[in-house]
Amino acid sequence: MLKSVNRKVALFLAAVAILFIFLSFQLPSYPYTEVDADIVPKGLGFLLLICSILLFFNNQEETEAERKKREIPRDELLMLLAVFGIILVYIFLLELIGFVIMTILFIFFTTWFLGYKKLISNLAVSVTFSLVIYLLFSYLLQINLPAGILPI
Amino acid sequence: MEAFQGLMSGFQIAFSLSGIIFIFIGVFVGTFIGMMPGLGPISAIAIMIPVTYNMDPALALVMMAGVYYGAIFGGSTSSILLNAPGVAGTVATSFDGYPMAQQGKAGKALAIAAISSFVGGTISVVLLMMFSPLLASVAISFGPAEYFALMLLGLTAISSLSEGSTIKAFISAILGFMVVTIGIDSQTGTARFTFGNANLLEGIDFLVIALGLFALAEVCMLIFNRKDTSVSDNKNLGSMKLSKNDIKEMAGPMGRQSFLGFIIGVLPGAGATIASFIAYITEKKIAKNPEEFGKGSIKGVAAPETANNAATSGAFVPLLSLGIPGSGTTAVLLGAFLVLGIQPGPLLVQDHPDIFWGIIASMYVGNLFLLILNLPLVPYISKVLRIPRPMLISLVIIFSLIGVYALSFNTFDLYLLLAFGVIGFLMRIFSFPAPPFILAFILGGMMEQALRQTMTISNGNLYIFFTKPIALSLIILSLLSILFPIIKNRIKKPVG
Repeated sequence: MLKSVNRKVALFLAAVAILFIFLSFQLPSYPYTEVDADIVPKGLGFLLLICSILLFFNNQEETEAERKKREIPRDELLMLLAVFGIILVYIFLLELIGFVIMTILFIFFTTWFLGYKKLISNLAVSVTFSLVIYLLFSYLLQINLPAGILPI
Repeated sequence: MEAFQGLMSGFQIAFSLSGIIFIFIGVFVGTFIGMMPGLGPISAIAIMIPVTYNMDPALALVMMAGVYYGAIFGGSTSSILLNAPGVAGTVATSFDGYPMAQQGKAGKALAIAAISSFVGGTISVVLLMMFSPLLASVAISFGPAEYFALMLLGLTAISSLSEGSTIKAFISAILGFMVVTIGIDSQTGTARFTFGNANLLEGIDFLVIALGLFALAEVCMLIFNRKDTSVSDNKNLGSMKLSKNDIKEMAGPMGRQSFLGFIIGVLPGAGATIASFIAYITEKKIAKNPEEFGKGSIKGVAAPETANNAATSGAFVPLLSLGIPGSGTTAVLLGAFLVLGIQPGPLLVQDHPDIFWGIIASMYVGNLFLLILNLPLVPYISKVLRIPRPMLISLVIIFSLIGVYALSFNTFDLYLLLAFGVIGFLMRIFSFPAPPFILAFILGGMMEQALRQTMTISNGNLYIFFTKPIALSLIILSLLSILFPIIKNRIKKPVG
């Protein structure tokens, strides 16, 4: 089992290497230079290919700690995917709705979703944090975060 | 004499009102983030970079240095109290620090950690001050060939010294190098691997990589461990007072490990983590009663704590005088320099003496701050550990997103950040170390440029490396460092 995991990773990396080498050969050449832009990428591609072959044939045993790291319960993985989904929504709506509203919603909802059920303190933290960060960035650091629909 | 004047002008920056405030902020934030289990100095520095965008470079870098050693110190607090080191460099501290805490002597362990960190930090800053200008004066004659060889050594060393599979570490470094080739090539103007996407023409910003690969990926691991709140609510820290005998016992390890830790920190690839382990092992070897180690020995806390802080200052030597980071953390620190438009290297002392000496002077002040701030405040700061994990997770995610957004005001970079978060997570799951990736990403651009400059001088002939003794010996060293793990394995399991 453990061998096959490393082997699958190695095969994937070899595929990446071959794709990278292929793309490196597609790079247009520039006539006025001794060493063109494709040399380093080609070298890296071949290095990765060699290393993935070495990884494939490496029979180093996986340690107990390494195996443990890989074993993640299905629910937890779904949880992680859900958090990534929330982040995607946040990014998508950030410029439309604005930083303050989105951040309040994000912190409140994610914190609740991950299992913190005290709604009042959750709300207090998410509102205070979002406002403080917004004001800090706008006034102290002069970085304007998207105001969105709020008239601030 | 020149150095003395420089140091005095550095102290002027460090002791100005804004200097003190920013050192304080840096040390405090660093301690705070470093204390969070799972979040290390790389995340701490990366999260703080956006704050520096519009700041005065000298003050900003003084603050970032504070974040770095503050994070190392913060890590030791969670090592002692939770047996959950926030930082790899403080894992060795938990060997004896946690048993002490279990015996009700957490306060004492924290005091030992604070004092040995202070001693290690301060002695090594003196060494840093002496060695950096020296190394810079040697490095000033380096051409692209020497620089290329030096960076190659840094990369191979960090790969062969990282824990776990060496091949995986090398793959990680190669992938980091590949990612940095994305964008317009600076020498020929060729767009590489951009797939016609205009957002990729300028390449991927290092902050996207640092926050994705570290902060976000660390958050993913935190999500799995969110229920793990092993800190009890009313744990008594016990007295923080140390007796004369305790101090006598600490003196030996502190003295030795300050120097050893510093030297290890200077070496490419090795950093606070390796320094702290070596310190622990050597002190155990030379101790009169080695059986005490692991059961709450004072020396067992003092040694790694001295060494990791000494190594932290040591790591500044190649960063400041050569402009070449030797570890993942200093690589991110170099990124912070570059964001501010400062190129560290042999010319830094001449071109920006305020920054060079400001950082060094600030480290004296910062170490003092760590001591006086942390000794009395540690019991309160340790309450930070009780922040509910779900909230911590959402806040770190938001910090990472703001950091990247404030860089370019472009949501494309946020999607990239998320993608690198996934890559960083997968790397952790499959045991690929992330520090070689970030170091290769930071060094990659410079390495490619140096290599191509060298080869242009020689009309495309690699033979040029054999005509330069310094470059050649560095390349031989890098080859040896690749072979090192293979030899080590052979010795470990003799093939019968």
